[in-house]
Amino acid sequence: MSREPVTLTIDGREITVPAGTLVIRAAERLGIEIPRFCDHPFLAPAGACRQCYVEIEGQAKLVTSCTTRVAPDMAVRTQVTSELVRRAQAANLEFLLLNHPLDCPVCDRGGECPLQDQALAFGPGESRYIEPKRTYRKPIPLSPLVNLDRERCVLCARCTRFCDEISGDRFIELYDRGAGERVSIAAGEDFRSPFSGNTIQICPVGALTATPYRFVARPFDLSSTDSTCAHCAAGCAIRVDVRRGKVVRVLARDDVEVNDAWICDKGRFAFAAPDRPERVTTPLVRARGLEPASFQEVLGEIAARCRGGRVGILVGGRLADEDAYALSKLARTVLGTNDLDHRRAFHGGRAELLAAARPMSVTYRDVEEAAAILVVGLDAEQELPILHLRIRKAARRGARVFVLHARRTRLHDLGEHLLVRPGHEAFALERIREALAAGGDGPEARIAAALAEAGERAVVLAGPRLAEHPLAADVALGLAERVGARFALCARRAGDRGALRAGVHPTLLPGGRRVTDDVERGQVEAVWGPIPAEPGRDAMGILRAAAGRELDVLYLVGVDPLRDLPDPALARRALANAGYTVIQGLELGELEPYADAFLPAAAAAERDGRVTTWEGRPRPLRAARAPLGLSRPDWEIFVGLAEALGADLGLGSLEAIRAEAEPLLAPREVPVRSSAWGAAGPPQWIEERVLFTYPLLVDEGRLLEGATELKAALEEEPFAEIHREDAEALGVADGGWVRVRTSAGDAVVRARVGETVAPGAVFVPFNQPGLPVAELLAGRFTVGVHLEPAAEPAAEEVA
Amino acid sequence: MSERRPRVDLSSAVGAVASGMATILKQVFRRDVTEPYPHVIVPPPPRSHIGRHRLNRHENGLEKCIGCELCAFACPADAIWVEGAENDPEHPVSPGERYAKDYQINYLRCIMCGLCVEACPTRALTLTSYYELSFTSREEAIWTKEQLLEPPPPLGTDPVDREG
Ligand code: SF4
Ligand code: SF4
Ligand code: SF4
Ligand code: SF4
Ligand code: FES
Repeated sequence: MSREPVTLTIDGREITVPAGTLVIRAAERLGIEIPRFCDHPFLAPAGACRQCYVEIEGQAKLVTSCTTRVAPDMAVRTQVTSELVRRAQAANLEFLLLNHPLDCPVCDRGGECPLQDQALAFGPGESRYIEPKRTYRKPIPLSPLVNLDRERCVLCARCTRFCDEISGDRFIELYDRGAGERVSIAAGEDFRSPFSGNTIQICPVGALTATPYRFVARPFDLSSTDSTCAHCAAGCAIRVDVRRGKVVRVLARDDVEVNDAWICDKGRFAFAAPDRPERVTTPLVRARGLEPASFQEVLGEIAARCRGGRVGILVGGRLADEDAYALSKLARTVLGTNDLDHRRAFHGGRAELLAAARPMSVTYRDVEEAAAILVVGLDAEQELPILHLRIRKAARRGARVFVLHARRTRLHDLGEHLLVRPGHEAFALERIREALAAGGDGPEARIAAALAEAGERAVVLAGPRLAEHPLAADVALGLAERVGARFALCARRAGDRGALRAGVHPTLLPGGRRVTDDVERGQVEAVWGPIPAEPGRDAMGILRAAAGRELDVLYLVGVDPLRDLPDPALARRALANAGYTVIQGLELGELEPYADAFLPAAAAAERDGRVTTWEGRPRPLRAARAPLGLSRPDWEIFVGLAEALGADLGLGSLEAIRAEAEPLLAPREVPVRSSAWGAAGPPQWIEERVLFTYPLLVDEGRLLEGATELKAALEEEPFAEIHREDAEALGVADGGWVRVRTSAGDAVVRARVGETVAPGAVFVPFNQPGLPVAELLAGRFTVGVHLEPAAEPAAEEVA
Repeated sequence: MSERRPRVDLSSAVGAVASGMATILKQVFRRDVTEPYPHVIVPPPPRSHIGRHRLNRHENGLEKCIGCELCAFACPADAIWVEGAENDPEHPVSPGERYAKDYQINYLRCIMCGLCVEACPTRALTLTSYYELSFTSREEAIWTKEQLLEPPPPLGTDPVDREG
């Protein structure tokens, strides 16, 4: 389709737009608002509601402006200048309202409903219809999150088009025709879609409503703040609605550079955690028990322990960029240690160095416009849902999508999967690299050919699974460089990329500067002052040091090592043997018996700051309400701790932090290392059966606490996904029970048998209710496993 | 310039004083217009809407209020707080899906304008003629749903008023 400019007139005003533009969009550019219901800028035109009639000179009948594209010298007349159009629009509104129940007072959409607004602006005001209206049973729960009220539906098909075109999860469909046409749960389809909330937001009437927001508030009750979702590194633009100091709703905002107009259901519905009674909002210090104290007292106490002592710092994935920078500086310049880490898995290769040094190597737009996409070690739907939608969008625009993963992902309908055992990704990538030269006709050769053909328009997205295996990410990077593709190592949690960039890392300083390199360290020292030159310990190393009584202070910032790290036994020993344990976060949870001091942090919705997306793009966080109690943003606590130690970080405000960090975080070149395997040599080929695990979108994570309906809709019972071949060899039936034994422990879970996982691999989701998989792990998220059929466990054994 | 003093006409002055005294005398023997409230309580005219609100019920006992918040939206003084919730179909509070879980009117704010009553789609909210509103604390001035559902007592029976 040519993109030549086309000139036309609308209501006598001339405008020039690219060819192919819809008349309704051209009118918007002139500020002329044509009423509409089914039209949505991110969905394909449907012409379903007939509300957007306009008159075009030379055409006998009125046309729908949302399906008509501009043509040269077209003369369009809208309701502004045409009485005929005005009457047609009013008649259509009267028609749409024939069977409408007019129950606005009980409808959640009341007060912000396009049907209300447009009926008022363009409608006839009175109806001539006096017969009884069509009625349906209502509301019909489509899922624990979404309710359908068929009486209110105007059959615009926005919801069903979203499912068809955007998420691909066809959980609702339109059935029948005429007066009996209605929205229904799609026959035989699973309506577990992690994007279902978007249909609620785009429904132009109150036909789809959200259970958690049911009857909770009216628009005029709400104070709204534009912010960014901090549940994952996708960085979606959101609006946070607060009623009387409580977050009651989260909506997606439009941002074509990031999330288009969509967010996932986790971002939309998981907002209750900071309001739970378990939240601790006062500093605590251990005297006879944990007792409330002032910030000053607690920080003074901690400072006394840190002075001259050996400190190790573990960090979770929820720190804002400014927090991470302040902590990185605090650790190096005041606490005198490089023992800090935010990672859950460790590769330390060149790919990581690049991610720290160079943001925006791949953007959402690059993904959307790519010709070939290779996704490695990433379950995008579960880990970066909005990136998943972009990959789908790219596939619909013609990109070839390949997924190299141990498990089938939700891209299976659009892309080709190559299931490889966890730990073998690097070998598969090597085979693709070889196929670049050698050719062939296996899947590797297909991927190689597609990548080579796409060249610059190829994108390689490496996920957290690659971090697990030495240098696998570097092999992916090497492959990308070889074909000239764009490459990104995708962070999963909202704080991950920012923490990496800021140097919350045992061997990297801000901007990916290596602690061990005198020149690079010197660049940071020029700003910060002296920094210890020995590399620090990584997260497991810090735990081992604490367990071996080598640490005087163990400082845990937004992390629960019992739950988040793959060796709870070690974590328990570390907590028991650490000289002094400081917890900073929203709540204490199971860490309570170990805590010597607690510092209450503000939640993401209670503070300003920035988070960095997986691309490396900074996104603004804005406080939707004040922090509860005495809690405060993490960076303020770090600055306070430095003060208690008699040091001045010089980071008195967010602006000061950004000003100091900016030059250090400017994109830099990083040294090239040539050999694919690096000094460590090729990874080991593991023969035994392995269990691997990663968190699904909705799990038992702390930020999901309190999101009851979301969990009811999406959280799954623990299961073990086993390949059919393995299951047959072991005599395990689909849906039967299987005992999973590793060197760390064993558990009995339900088996899911199929071809959705690589042979020889067993997938168990991380942190599912009733099964803390961490207890089965021995330091890594992949572990050798022994399987055997088991009897159904008694109730307490499952729990 | 010399000032010219007005000439005093004695007879007209006496006449004026006399007519003034006559007016006073006449008023002395007239009936009082002032109501000796609270000793005598004159019933307000029927259908007058000069007093506090009442939340009404249907004949079957269900509350008419559906918790729609339209009254709160209409109120120019921001005196009304409504929180909606879903009816339990087994034990509905009001007909239909929605009822008011919480309903409060703050009488330190209310200016008795009646806009809320006009906004109410179910005639759940009406104004009564019970004007005896006096409070000894801010909390007491916020009326809860339970209080508003009660019919107003006869005038002159408010314990606070009697004490005062
Ligand atoms: S439920 Fe809403 S979005 Fe779906 S067809 Fe009906 S009106 Fe349109
Ligand atoms: S994709 Fe990530 S950032 Fe976006 S709404 Fe979901 S959890 Fe939040
Ligand atoms: S009478 Fe007027 S001021 Fe009082 S609650 Fe109603 S709307 Fe508000
Ligand atoms: S009193 Fe009337 S207007 Fe107010 S919430 Fe109840 S039904 Fe709605
Ligand atoms: S908006 Fe054009 S037909 Fe619905």
